[in-house]
Amino acid sequence: MATDILKFTQEQTATFLKEVSERSGQNLQACYQCRRCAAGCPVADDTGVTPDRLIRMIVMGDRDQASNNLLVWKCVSCYTCGTRCPNNIHTARINETLKQMAKEKSLQPLDVKIAAFHGAFMKSASHFGRINEMEFMGLYEIKASGEEMKRGGLSAVIAEMMAQAKLGIEMMKRKRMHFGFSRIKGMDEIKRLFNRAGKK
Amino acid sequence: MEIIYYPGCTLDASSKLYDVQTRIVMEKMGFSLRELEDWSCCGATSASKTDEFLAVALPARNLGIADATGLGEIVIPCSSCYSRMLVSQKILAKNAALKDRINSELTKKVQGSIKILNILELLATKSREGFFAEKLSKKLEGLKPACYYGCLQTRFPIDMEVPYDVENPQGMEDVCVALGAAPVDWSYKTDCCGASASVNDSELSFRLMSKIIQDAAARGANCFVTTCPMCQLNLDAYQNQIIQKYGLPGPLPVYFLTEFIGIAMGVSPYDLQIDRHFVESISLLKELNLI
Ligand code: SF4
Ligand code: SF4
Repeated sequence: MATDILKFTQEQTATFLKEVSERSGQNLQACYQCRRCAAGCPVADDTGVTPDRLIRMIVMGDRDQASNNLLVWKCVSCYTCGTRCPNNIHTARINETLKQMAKEKSLQPLDVKIAAFHGAFMKSASHFGRINEMEFMGLYEIKASGEEMKRGGLSAVIAEMMAQAKLGIEMMKRKRMHFGFSRIKGMDEIKRLFNRAGKK
Repeated sequence: MEIIYYPGCTLDASSKLYDVQTRIVMEKMGFSLRELEDWSCCGATSASKTDEFLAVALPARNLGIADATGLGEIVIPCSSCYSRMLVSQKILAKNAALKDRINSELTKKVQGSIKILNILELLATKSREGFFAEKLSKKLEGLKPACYYGCLQTRFPIDMEVPYDVENPQGMEDVCVALGAAPVDWSYKTDCCGASASVNDSELSFRLMSKIIQDAAARGANCFVTTCPMCQLNLDAYQNQIIQKYGLPGPLPVYFLTEFIGIAMGVSPYDLQIDRHFVESISLLKELNLI
């Protein structure tokens, strides 16, 4: 992790901290580094960075590290950290905010497959008002395999497809795959909400 | 008692069995379910990870429709839908400007009157009132479930009062005991199974699930029971791969709580569609003479 001496101006630090605090609704400055959050975070082994570290990076104005670490992308939103934090700081919301900020700036997400997954889910919701699993997985596969192609070439794409196809076949055998498309009547409302979100 | 029912996308598709059995079991328990008219997707975790406004607005459309029915309560089986709806309602209660903004796009406006219940709250309350003491056609003797709550019905992304012990909830155990089963005491009942990561980051979710499976087996459980369709599908569909990868005993069937109640009330396991699980789940019930 960041062991170099941090270089930052007070101004820069304050704006970043303010933006993350306001948008996530979390009072990051209340954190006293007790690490109760870290003890319960189930993804910490995989990410290296724990919620307390992330908060410290933001408070110190280390914008790069704060947006480019695996915790932000691998957080499974289990809400353990926030439920246990004596100061009620929900790091899951901070992670959500950092992801949204990355999306707005069109930064390359650190984990493209995870970003593709959530993107595909929202796209499917915007089409029919409900998630049609076939369409959702289709959208996800197209997006994710494009990214796989860039990084791992054709064999990575085939491996990904095979894994998903195997699950698909198992689902089919148990009559758990549904091919019908359901579309709600109030699509105009859904469209308006998505438009609003786009405008902000 | 008439109550509004929100199935959500998962129960409309890969977990259709949960929708089918919820309707059967709840009717048998004396509830009359009215499906929320023209319900739409709650946005799940994906909305909150991509857009703050939609994370509140998508559930709000459903809340508006529910408020307009004039009925008192809505029951939601899926933990993810339940969490998103409850959080949306709480946020809108505190943020009038946002509520106006969302309401201006909705045909049926959010009022905030509907009481949102997770299916477990409803079942546990019935159980505490002694409902199962009289209504059982058989006791679930021999079943030793690890009651699995997962994340989303126990912990929320905002500060909220909850009427149970977040680290050690007991609602499911209460119902199981009332049905004659013997739930085990274990450590992973509220740990995360990584459901959404199974598709896009399976290594992570497999590791999370391996701990859950290992502890359940070590405590002597002969099955899991849950009310969350995400947890059920995740633990069920991938369990064989996980026990192979980590050299664990098992696999253990992953039942829905509604399946336990259905069996104890004499409903056929095939009507409940227990044969649609990934881990074969009928033989354990046969071995124990429960069906
Ligand atoms: S539990 Fe809260 S106060 Fe303690 S280190 Fe984590 S975020 Fe900071
Ligand atoms: S919500 Fe995210 S950061 Fe917090 S404990 Fe869970 S995985 Fe870790």
